[in-house]
Amino acid sequence: MAPTAPTQRPTMRHSSAFLLPSTAPSSPAPGPDDAAVALVVLNQPLPRFAPLLWSRAAVRVCADGGANRVFDGMPALLPGQDPDEVRASYKPDVIKGDMDSVRPEVKEHYSNLGTRIVDESHDQDTTDLHKCIAFIAENYSATNKSNLSILVLGALGGRFDHEMGNINVLHLFPSINIVLLSDDCLIFLLSKMHTHEIHVEKSIEGPHCGLIPIGMPSTSTTTTGLRWNLDNTSMSFGGLISTSNIVEEDKVTVTSDSDLMWTTSLRK
Amino acid sequence: MDVIMHSSSFLLPKLYQPVNKPVKNYALVVLNQHLPRFMPRLWDHANLRICADGGANHIFDEMYQITNDEDKKSTRNKYVPEIIEGDMDSIRPEVKLFYSSQGSKISDKSHNQETTDLHKCISRIHHCTPDDEKPNLCVLVTGALGGRFDHEAANINVLYLFSDMRIVLLSDDCLIRLLPRTHRHELYIESSVEGPHCGLFPVGAPSTSTTTTGLKWNLSESKMRFGSMISTSNIVQSEKVTVESDADLLWTISLRNLT
Repeated sequence: MAPTAPTQRPTMRHSSAFLLPSTAPSSPAPGPDDAAVALVVLNQPLPRFAPLLWSRAAVRVCADGGANRVFDGMPALLPGQDPDEVRASYKPDVIKGDMDSVRPEVKEHYSNLGTRIVDESHDQDTTDLHKCIAFIAENYSATNKSNLSILVLGALGGRFDHEMGNINVLHLFPSINIVLLSDDCLIFLLSKMHTHEIHVEKSIEGPHCGLIPIGMPSTSTTTTGLRWNLDNTSMSFGGLISTSNIVEEDKVTVTSDSDLMWTTSLRK
Repeated sequence: MDVIMHSSSFLLPKLYQPVNKPVKNYALVVLNQHLPRFMPRLWDHANLRICADGGANHIFDEMYQITNDEDKKSTRNKYVPEIIEGDMDSIRPEVKLFYSSQGSKISDKSHNQETTDLHKCISRIHHCTPDDEKPNLCVLVTGALGGRFDHEAANINVLYLFSDMRIVLLSDDCLIRLLPRTHRHELYIESSVEGPHCGLFPVGAPSTSTTTTGLKWNLSESKMRFGSMISTSNIVQSEKVTVESDADLLWTISLRNLT
């Protein structure tokens, strides 16, 4: 089958508006027209903006030991509030995974508060993140999938094989908008099936960015909106990859013959 | 096909080197992130230590905390890099002054904005090492993983760009090496310091055939590709792991709690 010409590919729009601070006094619930946000917390220390993303999310899933991180980390990120109250209001909807990392008392605490515990210890073939993404995709398909963004905390850094496995999950679910976040940056997949418009929130993202062809070289990538734009340029490991680039415009466009990882740094 | 033998004996204390293995010549490159807790051990093994720009700040600030020496000053005097290289936009002026006065060579590359700090350091080592000495040289790099993802990707790309050199990227949690497809690889596992978790990743291009021995889930002429199967959370089950592939692969192994 001949590849779709760039002009014929549908456009996919990306925005990091979920990282903008809330201007309302209380946590806004997503409206019916808003993008629906789901949050997955993996087993690494929470980034500093975890409470903000939690308040944005319609559903929050902890992958196994991610529940420990919420239990210990949320009160630490909200030092002005009573820890028990924080634990009650930042309660995951689901704890899912093989349950070999979540502390028994943490599991019990959330279970008593109504958190659904989904034990997947029988399934050792897929990673915790894979299980959580599949779960959200199955259970929240009532939401228009093109409006669904799944934000993931704790997927980067730590053990490199975990990081690679998490990046592979993005490749395994190319039609779902999944964003991996850390204190320093965010990354998401730009599927070759689309032309991409990335709306950059300059107050929180950038200026550094990059385009990385993980898993397959790219023979042709074209961008607009960057300081060093690509123009039908080849990229590969062992050759050129676009790193330490700079976002110039509010809107960046990317078209490529290959799947690419897009990354922006996050401002401190 | 020629064989490359890999060993992590640099993670062992210098006195406890395994017998019957070739003695390696180590160089150490320190990038601008927090030092791993086993840094003194790497420093001891290395004949050449290069700080890439802000890496010097971390040696200056953190070495005495890691070694638990009471005398901060004598620790600072002890851990002096031979070279500080890079565009000098991160190193603090007082740190640069201190090491310069201690004899470190300051190699200001601020005119060169085309390559990363790691690329500059590896390029220097590559340039200064005769070809016949390259197989015996192993470059240990700290601070290349984590942090900004585009930096991490650029650092991994340095392994591909200098694939004729043995370069190991290290963090507190793991190490990674490139296994070029041009060779068969024998990885000698130091199980007191590394493992059991490991993985193999076709980051640059897919593999249509990879074969391994010594792992819990060995590959047997297996295909690997992002978007399909890659080997993560595998387990090392032997003292020697072998890998042969038609694609360049990244190997990773977890590190045990080294104190």
